[in-house]
Amino acid sequence: MGTKYILSKGELHRQDNSLNFKNSNGNNYIPIEGIDEIYCLDEVSFNTKVIDFLSKNNIILHLFNHYEGYSGTFYPREKYMSGKAVIKQVEAFNEKRELIAKAIVLGIANNIHEVLYHYYRHGKEELKEFLDWLKDEMPKKLENSNDISEILLTEADIWYRFYNSFSVFLREDFVFNKRVKRPPDNPLNALISFGNTILYTKTMGQIYQTHLDQRISFLHSPQERRFSLSLDLSEVFKPVIVFKTIFDCVNNRKLSVEKHFDKNLNYCLLNESGKKIFLEALESKFNETFKHTTLLRNVSYLKAIKYDGYKLLKYILEDFEFNPFSLKEKK
Amino acid sequence: MGKNYNYIFLFYDVGEKRVNKVFKICKKYLSHHQKSVFRGAIIPANIIKIEDELNKVIDQNYDFINIIKLYGTYNFEEKIIGTNKKDGESIFL
Repeated sequence: MGTKYILSKGELHRQDNSLNFKNSNGNNYIPIEGIDEIYCLDEVSFNTKVIDFLSKNNIILHLFNHYEGYSGTFYPREKYMSGKAVIKQVEAFNEKRELIAKAIVLGIANNIHEVLYHYYRHGKEELKEFLDWLKDEMPKKLENSNDISEILLTEADIWYRFYNSFSVFLREDFVFNKRVKRPPDNPLNALISFGNTILYTKTMGQIYQTHLDQRISFLHSPQERRFSLSLDLSEVFKPVIVFKTIFDCVNNRKLSVEKHFDKNLNYCLLNESGKKIFLEALESKFNETFKHTTLLRNVSYLKAIKYDGYKLLKYILEDFEFNPFSLKEKK
Repeated sequence: MGKNYNYIFLFYDVGEKRVNKVFKICKKYLSHHQKSVFRGAIIPANIIKIEDELNKVIDQNYDFINIIKLYGTYNFEEKIIGTNKKDGESIFL
């Protein structure tokens, strides 16, 4: 149901069958029944008693280092285990990997198109070329590629062109020339990296609630030493959740380079108040609901991630067509 | 079938001996709002659970607990005067 972000130093305790986070402000009681995830973005001490208790209540604990880098997740014992699903997932990887990867890449393109179309409609004519490419050329190119490396190349191309289009509609002080990771070197790169990390971990939490195996992914190669399925499923949500939030925060002047970034580190890290603003915006995006066209009820973006997991499962087990989330599912 | 209440306010006035017991139960499900007031989003199943647990510890002839059930945060308006030093419902700690 909820998420707590720990942004201060302190100790996490198990107390009276609930949680208590002690910091300089005193006791902060966290209702155990009301939360699904805890993010530790600062130094937090805890003991095995807490870990055991979290595991019993199926709460996921995400740990980050001081520099917003993701260090790991405490992932309680699998609640939903299905040998059948794992076998089918591996089979799907061997036989239908390209099909699933293509569906995901097409999903990314569709969502980027939807997001950017808003700016095109509001007079940013320069975007037309990119939008046309997304609609016409890109799907053809994708159709003809049979190899996973070709599909990945097309994906990289989409992101590259997407990043290049930022200069058209973003405020000047945030415009960047190149996507840089590990570490990000300017405010916008920092926002993208941080936002993506939060999205990955949120996706992980949603996959945890399905029978899917986190390690077997389709677009990304599963050999990587991490839960790569969350990278796959979060891909189509990046433009919808992370980038829309960033554009909103930047263009509506909620975040500014001087005020919300750490000057000592060359503006490549959010400071405390910046983190709060950005996380709050992200969180409200995750909880934003829309009327789903097929489910005919209100669904939040966070749950839409879980439903994408279900869709994938349905495709793997019953050969139902897999179409990842598209903004067009919104009514 | 009962209605789908997803948000509650809980006020309690109980004998000194049982204050801690009630507090313990409440903080498991809800966030602390004021001295003897808890509130927060909660699923209908947990509303039944918290009622059961409270029923077990209180003295039916002496204590008083009031639960106001709402559909969500969108159907009431609130005004705060003065400062609330601790916001139990904040997503940041």
